[in-house]
Amino acid sequence: MSDPRVLDGNAVGGLLHDVFGAEVTAVPCTCGSCGARGEIARLVVYVDCPGVVVRCPACTQVLITIVRVHEHACVDLSGVGRLEL
Amino acid sequence: MGIISRGFHGRRQDGPPDRVPPGQYLTDDFPVLSAGPTPHTPLEEWTFDIRGGSEPVRWTWDELQALPSEEITKDIHCVTKWSKLDTVWQGVSVDTLLDAVEHDAGYAIAFCDGGYTTNLPIEDLTGGKAWVAYGYDGEPLEPEHGGPARLLVPHLYFWKSAKWVRGLALRDDDEPGFWEQNGYHLRGDPWLEQRYWGD
Amino acid sequence: MKTLELDVDWDGHRAGQHLDVRLTAEDGYQAQRSYSIASAPGERPAITIERLDDGEVSPYLVDELREGDVFEVRGPIGGYFVWDGDEPEPVLLVAGGSGVVPLAAMARHWKRVGSSAPMRLLYSARSWDEVIYRDELEHLGIGVTYTLTREQPERWQGYARRIDDELLSEVAFPASEGPRVYVCGSTHFVDAAADGLVRLGYDPASIRTERFGATG
Repeated sequence: MSDPRVLDGNAVGGLLHDVFGAEVTAVPCTCGSCGARGEIARLVVYVDCPGVVVRCPACTQVLITIVRVHEHACVDLSGVGRLEL
Repeated sequence: MGIISRGFHGRRQDGPPDRVPPGQYLTDDFPVLSAGPTPHTPLEEWTFDIRGGSEPVRWTWDELQALPSEEITKDIHCVTKWSKLDTVWQGVSVDTLLDAVEHDAGYAIAFCDGGYTTNLPIEDLTGGKAWVAYGYDGEPLEPEHGGPARLLVPHLYFWKSAKWVRGLALRDDDEPGFWEQNGYHLRGDPWLEQRYWGD
Repeated sequence: MKTLELDVDWDGHRAGQHLDVRLTAEDGYQAQRSYSIASAPGERPAITIERLDDGEVSPYLVDELREGDVFEVRGPIGGYFVWDGDEPEPVLLVAGGSGVVPLAAMARHWKRVGSSAPMRLLYSARSWDEVIYRDELEHLGIGVTYTLTREQPERWQGYARRIDDELLSEVAFPASEGPRVYVCGSTHFVDAAADGLVRLGYDPASIRTERFGATG
């Protein structure tokens, strides 16, 4: 039994590049719940689930959820306060 | 479809087609899938609530343990494509719990420690199809697999078998839960391959 | 461990970046893995794969792949965990096991560009056998310190334990020198090393981390 991997934003750099059309691991992201700000690479990422879930390292709230649905991606950014792209 | 890599097969096993739904592969281990940190609610604080009926109903951990329970052997199917046959659980039938509540709801949302939610029609929770499970393979359910208790609804994709379940909110409408808001099918029948919206 | 050099048509990569490999079987089944680029910018991208017996992808890449075979690659990826060589601050590289791969790319780049920034590598591995790029790392001109956590060769004089505050204080640059840090390894390793460096007075913003998860 392998433990689910808890990684960081680096691990989904390729996926996020597909979503945003640009390299975003260095982009500052502000949590919509607690206001913590840090690069996307510093966010806590869960990849062993039916999608990708990105959480705030300070308060664990969900910031971004990405699910590949057939040929497109369903991206929920509702937990993000701000992205400085 | 990507560029085919000569000689690559992957590690999948196929299984008997009457037991393995379309697009699924068999696994011998029990992958742990998680969308967030594992919660650890002490049993003295743990409760299971059903809301939305004529009155809210609550069971403490001891009260849940005192309810009639059964051993359940079922195949489970994860939308990430693995299936595991003959998994053995211990738990209380959701029928037993819903019998304690007066309601005429058509749907429910399961809510959990950590904030996870998933929605189900009452039909899929009743008639001996769903349990609140607290034992797996003869042992207490481990936290990474949803312990102390998880919902178990094996006839639907396993994201409906919500880990760390703390109750059901009964509703008249089918309000999407976490994955259902993010592209996954509202119902999730593996035999109809209902993985995503519109499937 | 096997290192593969890939023929890709991109313009080059930065030290610390990774790429994603996607394999497709004839029936459409796909598996994807990320690999840090081990080679320095200017060299062809090379990846180092650890073969896990029960892995799905690594046995294929290590045992089956032949020259001329093709698979899909996406990259280079990364804009945060990168070192370009024009930064003047001292650089501390802290590697846990296979986390050494992107840090080795940085060290190779350091040598190639003739950087005058002091660079040190602290490399934690379970045993001497598990240390990769051994000969090369020692001939680049950077300071290399190993700690072997599970078993050590006879007459080993070096560190033989998991990274702790004392070890860090002996190996890391003083915080006052304003070093830049790159830590790579398992989540557990990275968190422990980063926390330890912060206790030594390092500015958290100067510590860049990349967490690896075990996959086959």
